[in-house]
Amino acid sequence: MAVTREIVRTHDVVKTYYMGTEEVHALQGVTTSISAGEYVSIMGPSGSGKSTFFNMVGGLDKPTSGEVYIDEVDVSQLDVYELAWLRCRKIGYIFQTFNLIPVMNAIENVSLPMVFAGKSSDECRDKAAELLKKVGLGDRLTHRPIEMSGGQQQRVAIARSLANDPAIILADEPTGNLDLKTGQEIIALLTQMKEEQGVTIITATHDHKMLAASDRVVWFTDGKVVRVQNREELNIQVGTIDGED
Amino acid sequence: MSQVQESIFGGDRSEKRLEKVPLRKAWDMCVQNLRNRRGRYMLVFISIAVVVSFFVITLTYQRMLTELRKNEDVHTRAVMQRAGLVLTDEDAAIKQRDRMIWLLILSGSLAFVGVTNTMYMSVTERYREIGTLKCLGALDGFVVQLFIIESVLIGLVGSTIGALLGFILTLLQVGMTLEFGLLGWRVVLVGFGAGVPAAILGGTVLTVLASIYPTVAAARMKPVDAMRVEV
Ligand SMILES: Nc1ncnc2c1ncn2[C@@H]1O[C@H](COP(=O)(O)OP(=O)(O)O)[C@@H](O)[C@H]1O
Ligand SMILES: [Mg+2]
Repeated sequence: MAVTREIVRTHDVVKTYYMGTEEVHALQGVTTSISAGEYVSIMGPSGSGKSTFFNMVGGLDKPTSGEVYIDEVDVSQLDVYELAWLRCRKIGYIFQTFNLIPVMNAIENVSLPMVFAGKSSDECRDKAAELLKKVGLGDRLTHRPIEMSGGQQQRVAIARSLANDPAIILADEPTGNLDLKTGQEIIALLTQMKEEQGVTIITATHDHKMLAASDRVVWFTDGKVVRVQNREELNIQVGTIDGED
Repeated sequence: MSQVQESIFGGDRSEKRLEKVPLRKAWDMCVQNLRNRRGRYMLVFISIAVVVSFFVITLTYQRMLTELRKNEDVHTRAVMQRAGLVLTDEDAAIKQRDRMIWLLILSGSLAFVGVTNTMYMSVTERYREIGTLKCLGALDGFVVQLFIIESVLIGLVGSTIGALLGFILTLLQVGMTLEFGLLGWRVVLVGFGAGVPAAILGGTVLTVLASIYPTVAAARMKPVDAMRVEV
């Protein structure tokens, strides 16, 4: 890529939850910038604000203050139709708990975003089948989530996130409910999607072993960015951390 | 095949909004959903059917007796007399009516609570699903549409089964306490008219009304909040 484009930029994002009289400062001024085509890992302990950050970037929730820019457009300025368009066409979501629709089979689940995008039933079916083959589930097209392993369900979720050829994939602890080997397979699949489609991948994790694929790691602590590392610095880091384990 | 993604909001901004999904799609999704969920919805259908049938019995049974009482025929009178169903005086008639009103109120409230509770549960257990749908680009209106169509279908099917079941039970009851021979087409029709259409309509309206509140509440939630709801 000749020119790097800032696809996600946040400026001093603050999110405070009010629970009765108690205030929870989930994000305390997060300023970041992510380039198109990058694989960025958000790393931090549980409760450090990773999911909250994802919700802001994904247009699923609004910051208490500060701005989130997707492709230099302030997300808070979008009306509901534009926001739905962004969620549907440009962002793919992957959750720790997979969040597949339990009564729908793999093809139907993967088709959903395309249905919302107004594509025809045939188009949905064909593309869903093609994506499921791509993630290695060509023989599970009509299986329901309950008939699949966690790793397979997460593959369906990945296929679903790719349905409308998004620009960004947000994966919040995608390997959190999976064993190490399956988790690594999922990461490898995400990396492959990045290479093949040029999609920007932002993923949260608290597991050091899941960092290897990252171009950059952003470290969160208590709702703040405490460190940003590039790939080169990372290799040494990962080595040391693994040693400490 | 590495490709540089084009700018997200570049070009014509007016094309970068989601169109409403046509009603036809919502209908297809409902039918698909009901088909896929039929096992799980069995309970919903049964609970709606049971309360509606109880309501139908209270509506039709007395109405059919009243119709039979109009009958001057000696045999009918004798059979009713034997069953102790002939009203001797004004007082007895009033007592009878009062009891009937109480029964109606009772079965009506039972139906109301039963249907409302059933629908409320079946919508709230799907909050997470609603949140997910919104993440994938569903508009609030679409979610509401989806659940309303679904509740109309559930209400219609559940209430119809219940109403017919209740009506058959009433016929059995009349036939067994009196005599099946007394069930002429007139009595049957009057009983049917008194209870079945009202129960189907009432049951369906109730089912839809009961699901509107939780559906609208869920559809208006931020997707994250809907997904957080634990039931
Ligand atoms: N909806 C909410 N209401 C209240 N507090 C919340 C809510 N969501 C998150 N929090 C709090 O905000 C902090 C950050 O949470 P989260 O973003 O989920 O962290 P992480 O994903 O890194 O584990 C935590 O202290 C959490 O308890
Ligand atoms: Mg989290």
